[in-house]
Amino acid sequence: MSRRFSVVLACLTCALLGAPLSALVDDARQIVVESQRRTEAESQRYEGLLQVLSAKGKIADKRWTFERLGSHGRSKAVLRFTAPAEVKGVALLIVNHPERSSDQWMWTPGIERDRRIALQDRSQRFFGTDFSFEDLEERDVDQYDYTLIGDDAAGGAACWKIGSVPKRTKVSQYTRSIVWIRKDTYALARVENYVNDQVVRRLEYSNFEKVHDIWTARQLEMADLRRGSRTRLTLDKLAYDVPLKDDDFTLQAIRRP
Amino acid sequence: MKTLLALALVLWSVTAAAQDVTQRGFIEGRAFVFPQDAVNDPTQAVGDFLAREEVFARPAPWLRVAGGIDLRASTHDQVSDDWQPDVSDRGVRRPRLSIRRLSATLTRDHVTLDLGKQFIRWGKADIVNPTDRFAPRDFLNVVDAEFLAVTGARAVVAAGAEAFEGVWVPRFTPSRIPLLDQRWTVVPTEAAGLHVVDATDPNALPRGSQTGFRWNHTGEGFESSLSFYDGFNTLPNVDAHAAGFPPAIAVSRIYPAIRSYGADAAVPLRWLTVKGEASYFTSTTPGTDEYVLYVIQVERQTGEWLLVGGYAGEVVTNQRAALTFAPDRGLTRSLVGRASYTIDPARSVAFETAVRQNGDGAYAKAEYSQAHGAHWRFTATGTLIRGNPADFLGQYRRNSHAALALRYSF
Repeated sequence: MSRRFSVVLACLTCALLGAPLSALVDDARQIVVESQRRTEAESQRYEGLLQVLSAKGKIADKRWTFERLGSHGRSKAVLRFTAPAEVKGVALLIVNHPERSSDQWMWTPGIERDRRIALQDRSQRFFGTDFSFEDLEERDVDQYDYTLIGDDAAGGAACWKIGSVPKRTKVSQYTRSIVWIRKDTYALARVENYVNDQVVRRLEYSNFEKVHDIWTARQLEMADLRRGSRTRLTLDKLAYDVPLKDDDFTLQAIRRP
Repeated sequence: MKTLLALALVLWSVTAAAQDVTQRGFIEGRAFVFPQDAVNDPTQAVGDFLAREEVFARPAPWLRVAGGIDLRASTHDQVSDDWQPDVSDRGVRRPRLSIRRLSATLTRDHVTLDLGKQFIRWGKADIVNPTDRFAPRDFLNVVDAEFLAVTGARAVVAAGAEAFEGVWVPRFTPSRIPLLDQRWTVVPTEAAGLHVVDATDPNALPRGSQTGFRWNHTGEGFESSLSFYDGFNTLPNVDAHAAGFPPAIAVSRIYPAIRSYGADAAVPLRWLTVKGEASYFTSTTPGTDEYVLYVIQVERQTGEWLLVGGYAGEVVTNQRAALTFAPDRGLTRSLVGRASYTIDPARSVAFETAVRQNGDGAYAKAEYSQAHGAHWRFTATGTLIRGNPADFLGQYRRNSHAALALRYSF
């Protein structure tokens, strides 16, 4: 289904149900704004355990440390692998922008070189996981247009089901996404990413805990539906508002383990 | 040497006291099989052993230290017999035990200062890097050359999208050239039976320092750099003459003073990324060429493939050299390409090739790599070299080989 046809269909549905489209759009955006507001923190740090499950059931474990400074749209993040041993030190620097796609650089210590990840390469899998480089970006509310699709359940919780379409300034591999936001906590519960009419990646959030007054999923599972593989990310030692320095989020800094 | 060892002790004590310490290392065994013998080297099977340990510590928020050691062995006399830790890495053979890196990094606001033995890489291209002047290499195997560290100071000032870098290396580290009695030093059939002896005066290595400056701009849609280098070429001019009785060929290495003016850029477009890199080399050393090296390449990642292809070129502006060992120039006037494919999280394959535009020389390398569990990795490589004996690549046509490597990372 093309994007234009989806919008037309949404308009027709709204008209038939008697609800003004602008109200639904406003509601959807307000829900996402509130969801984003509730996760704002000056910084974040965690240790991640990644378990890559191939279609044949093989499991490969990887570990990384993640540090983020700033919040939503203006944040910078460094992700550094700590295991397995052969990829120790491989690092990704992500500089998010409110008005456009992020800038990303990967540092490979084995060859002592950094490489800028070009926009057209962001759809590729990140280091053998089911997350693409784009999936590691922070989604900012202003980079998408939203439509409230309706109510649904995800992870056993009542959710708002919201359609999001990237704005023209946001370069994305995905044509659109559907986001499930829990009604009780405004936390993300599920994201389905589409290329045209096909769901290509599904991200499920689970094991919610309130950390520093922020409802946070301690487990995320990304499924690549085209490959039939999944990657489970478990967040350990999660902390918000930790003291981090701006100087640790530069190209020079990721070269230093 | 004493200064560096003293620095090592200081850094070691600092590291021991630091809370934030990480390490990485591996033990690797490699076997090479050369199906053809060479005029000066009948050995067709070579085994290498390498153990490497690197430690990184952050004793204070503004200070990081890094240290690494290598322990090597070889079945083909490519490793020095001396067990004394080597810091300078200037010997003709690989050191048995060497300080691979030993550096302190100080940061304050937008300034970063790296002091000590470190790796410095310049340039953006992937197969040939004309601007990469502080990166000597170990060419005991010409088509599988590892980088060597240099000892010096590097300062980087980052200001928004701009980064200004200054490098000072007081002591020269040459690239390690092939051993004269082994197959990567090609001896013509007519000279079979003649001994080739190294007549280089060990005290004649350049004594002056090397300096370099680089300005890097990171734009929204592109990255670019301008660089300047004033120092010595890590690759030598070669003086070969008949000497002594019984008859022998005496070979001397002369490392010419050079200046280079370089530029590089990477521009991501809608479907692919274009990268270019060029450098103009001048020299005041007699018998040294002046020339421009350049490379233009395109890069595309699609699915599990990473594809790189391009052209490396050379324009000689002043031809004066008779004989050089210059793999960087030897890979120019060539079409170059590399493709790698990730089969699954544990397995990958890669292909790399360089073909001279006149067809006089070519090499192709294929590699299969597979991880087992969290620590083991097995890699099989096949390298085919063909061409005319007068061509840089073609002269190694009897050095096609297969290699197997088993690595345990920890």
